[in-house]
This record gives sequence, C-alpha cells and structure tokens, in this order.
Amino acid sequence: MAENSRQPVLRLDSICKSFGGVVTAKDVSFSVYPGEIKGLIGPNGAGKTTMMNMISGIYTADSGEIFFEGKNITKTPDYARARMGIGRTFQTPRFLQRSSIRDNLLIGADLGNRIGFLQGFLGKSSTNFQSELDEMMEILHFRFDWDDDINSLPFGQRKLLEIVRSLLSHPKVILVDEPAAGLNNKEIEYLMEILRMAAKKRNVGVLLIEHSMDMIMDICESIVVLCFGVPIAQGTPAEIATNPAVIEAYLGREDDD
Amino acid sequence: MKNTKKTCLKGILLLLGTIAFYFVVRRVCTSLYTMMVVNIALIYTLIAYSVSVMLGMGGELSFAGITFMGGGAFLVANLTTSRLGLQLPPIAAFLLTIPFFAIIGFVVGLILLRLKSTFFTFSTIALVQMSYTIYNNYKPLFGGPDGIAGIPTTTLFGLKMMDYYDWFPWLLGFAVLIGLFINRIRTTPMGRSLASCRDNETAARVLGVNVYMTKVLAFTIAAVLSAMAGGLYALQTKFVSADMFTYASSTKYIIMAMIGGVQSTIGAFIGALIVQVLPQLLKSFEGYLQLFWGVSIVLLMVFMPEGIAGIFRATVRRMKNKKKKTAVEGGVPDGGK
Repeated sequence: MAENSRQPVLRLDSICKSFGGVVTAKDVSFSVYPGEIKGLIGPNGAGKTTMMNMISGIYTADSGEIFFEGKNITKTPDYARARMGIGRTFQTPRFLQRSSIRDNLLIGADLGNRIGFLQGFLGKSSTNFQSELDEMMEILHFRFDWDDDINSLPFGQRKLLEIVRSLLSHPKVILVDEPAAGLNNKEIEYLMEILRMAAKKRNVGVLLIEHSMDMIMDICESIVVLCFGVPIAQGTPAEIATNPAVIEAYLGREDDD
Repeated sequence: MKNTKKTCLKGILLLLGTIAFYFVVRRVCTSLYTMMVVNIALIYTLIAYSVSVMLGMGGELSFAGITFMGGGAFLVANLTTSRLGLQLPPIAAFLLTIPFFAIIGFVVGLILLRLKSTFFTFSTIALVQMSYTIYNNYKPLFGGPDGIAGIPTTTLFGLKMMDYYDWFPWLLGFAVLIGLFINRIRTTPMGRSLASCRDNETAARVLGVNVYMTKVLAFTIAAVLSAMAGGLYALQTKFVSADMFTYASSTKYIIMAMIGGVQSTIGAFIGALIVQVLPQLLKSFEGYLQLFWGVSIVLLMVFMPEGIAGIFRATVRRMKNKKKKTAVEGGVPDGGK
C-alpha cells in the first residue's frame, strides 16, 4: 500500500522526549502515508499518547524533527498545525459543554472551511456541511436530533462523533487515540468502517492508537510498537504478531500486573 | 428552507416584541426620572453584552468594562466640549470611540490575557482601580472630582435629543441592533471558537483555534461595547464624573449579566432591566440592596447557573423532550445500537 515513491504526509525523524527522568520517546522515527492506516501500539505508559501530543503540537519534542507534507513543522504552534491538516481525537471526548450536537460538529466544519471570523460572520462557507455529515451518519447508523445537548449522548456515540468532527475539518492526517475503548461491538464495526472510509475514499493518513489487538490486526496496514518510549518494532501486522521483541514486551508487562 | 422560515419568524417576533416593549414602557414611565432609569438600563445592557461575550462565550471574567465605559464617556465629553481645542458634533465624537477603543482594547487585551483565568480577572480589577484613580485625579483630561459638564445636546438626523423621552427609542433600537450583532457572533465561527476555548483549551487548539488571539479579539469587542455605552451615557446625561466608574459599579453589570444569564443575549437585557429597575421599586429597602444582590448571586450560581434565560431554555427543552417521548410511544429510541 505505502509505496516508498510516494511522499509521506507525516514523517517523524528521531523524536526524543523526556519528562524529568522519565523517557517517553527515544529516537522514534516513522512515516504515515496518505490513505494508510498505521497502528501505534505498546503497553500502558509506552508513550503513545505523548507521541500524538507531539505531532499535534501540544508538547514540543526535546530533539528530532517532524515533517508534514515535506515541510518541517517542529516549531509550528498547535493551532497552525491543525489548520494545515492534522486532525486529532482524544481518549475521552472533548466537546463544548452546554451546546448542541450541531454546534459541536460545526466547530470541525469551521476549521474545514479555513475562512476567518469575519467571513464566517457574514455567513460564507466553502464546504457542504450537511451532505458530508449525512454521508458519515449513514456509515455510523446514527439518527439524532441535532439540537439535543451533546451530553445527552452515551459515551460511545460521543467518541464516534469526535472522529466525525475531526473529519469534517478535512484533515490530511488524523490522529485517533484509543477510539474503541468504551464502544460496543456494533459501534466498533462502524468505527472501523468510518476509518476505512477516511483512508480509502478521502486519502487521509490515519495514525491509530488502540489496545484492541483484533481491531489493530484487522484494520492496519503497518504497525509501530513502542515500549517505554523506544520503538521496538515496525512492520505489517503479520510481522508484528510474530516478532519476539513485541511478544516479550507484552508478556513481560503481564508479569508486572 | 426550514431555517430561513424560522429566522423570518424570529425576526418578526423580535420586531413585535421591541415595539410592544416600547409602548409598554412609554405608558408606564410617566416621569422623566423613570424614563432615565430605563434609559440607563439600556445603556448598561451594552456592557452586560460585553460580559456575555467575555464570560459567557470566552469563559473569562473581566471587570475592565467600567474602565472602557469611563474612557468612552470622557473621550466624548472632551471632544464635544472643546476642552482639547477642537469641538466635534456629538455623534461624530461617539463614532470616534469605536476605532479608538478598538485599538486600546486590543493592546490592553494583548497584555492582560497573557495571564490565565483567575489571574486575568484580578488584573482587570487592578485596571479598574488604576483607571478610577486616574479619572478622579488627572484634571486636564478628566476634570478631576468635578467631572466634565456642559456636553452639548445631541442632534440625530435633524432631531434634537432634548430629554430622556427623545433618547429612549434610539437607545432601544441601538440595544436591539447590538444584541443581534452579539447573537450573530455566538452562532458563527468566532462564537464557537470562543466557546471551545472556554470548555476545553486543548481541544480548541487541535481544532485550529488560536486561543490567545481569539480571546484578545473578544476583549477588544467587549472594550468597544463598553466604550460605546460610556459615550452614550455622556451624551445623554451631558455630565461625566469619575465616581460613575468605580470598582463597585463594575460589579453591578456583572450581576446584571449573571441574573439574566451569561449564555444568552436577551438575558443581558433582562438582567440590566432588573438590576436597574428593582432598586427603584424597593426604595425603602435600599440599605439591604447589596445583601439582596449578594444572596441572589449565590442562589443563582447554585440553582440556576445560566440565569433567567437558562431557566427558560431548560423549560423549553423539557417540553420538547416530553413531546418526543409521546411521539415515540413506547418504542425504543434508536441510538445506533
């Protein structure tokens, strides 16, 4: 899938990060290609979410460089990275409180519009919010009253809606942090469908953190394994499943528990 | 299509409501004094809007409104009384407050918003104290404790604004117009960006919101609104002095916004009316008024954090849900499971 001739949408070059004495990333390098779904896995505390925070600019890396479509964005502020096209979801969904579902999703569309406050004030829009939304709702099998409060929805649906919000902003790469946690089987099915839709139909690069191995093995084309900030393996799902270092990391973790 | 119809209906309702309000107030207000109370409430509505922008949308409590109100009032007073060597027509002086305080608000916002939440609030209190001291002591520009008197009568489209009755329809129209403007901000990208800063800064940033600059912009808008209120106050009462612009009076418009509901535009208007008119009705209890506001704010925060407008909205929502439930009639509401 990811031919080397193509330019990666996101490239990390020997990223290092530590909090005091705790090393959360050590010489991490990998690339995400357009239309590729890449898994980022590892035991708890391996530095997966930290890695995402560095890519979206919430943390800055101690050393190393991040490239987005060939451009060095290591020093670009977080909101500017989002405007360039780095989408993001969180382990626990982060939404506007006391606001309707529609308003929450419109924030994503606002970013997708890439127009200023003034033009937005005058009612201009460059994207078709409703038709895009309908397309995604069909995949997710949701039927809402859009004016309902966001908090009236169950956790799983809110998690899926966060992905929808991010996709409405037309990202070129989307960072999805543990989307399946708290979802039922049916919802996980829809989740995989919408991630596939994003990657295959819209050519979005997907970087996915997930603990559900079934899902990772099913959906990812390639996987990076982190263990205490060190990238211990990279490869296709089949390679990763038989990699002795990966098996040791996971089983060794079980002993600790 | 359904939406345009809804907007039309809302527009007509607003127009009818405004006209009804006008006639009711004209009938009730039989003395110049009561008219003045209502007019001042309308002017205060503008500052309550600014709280609605800063606190309701942006989640930052700012006391600085009174500083800018004072600034706007003194600017208009100076420009219309030829104290600075030039005398402008009152309306021109009023319109000048907009660009002037957009710049000042922007610069002050850039500085103060480097501080976060509570620290920002404290810095605005400091600003209010400083500005009061300056207004009260620097004679050349602010007249010192005597204030500035002798602001000429305003002429609007050939009509002379002789007394409070003349001012009332214009102030009402202006308050409604600015209310529409605020409401538009609330429902467009600017309002949503501000709200996302309020609720979750991290989420706002990964959604491409420049949190700092968005808040500075909100602060600028709030400053301009307050300055306009000050300008109107100066033109209407024809006299400005520093003791209008103390910290104590800055708490007043925050109470207004909170009673009405900081999340709502019309709430600011209702709150301003209540806080201005109630003391007139309860004249004999004047000594207990501060106690009353204090207790009501505490009760409000506990039982109805979104104020009067919040109660109204919750009731509408509850009625809607009830309707929905009867429509489903025992069927399982489909949640995609």
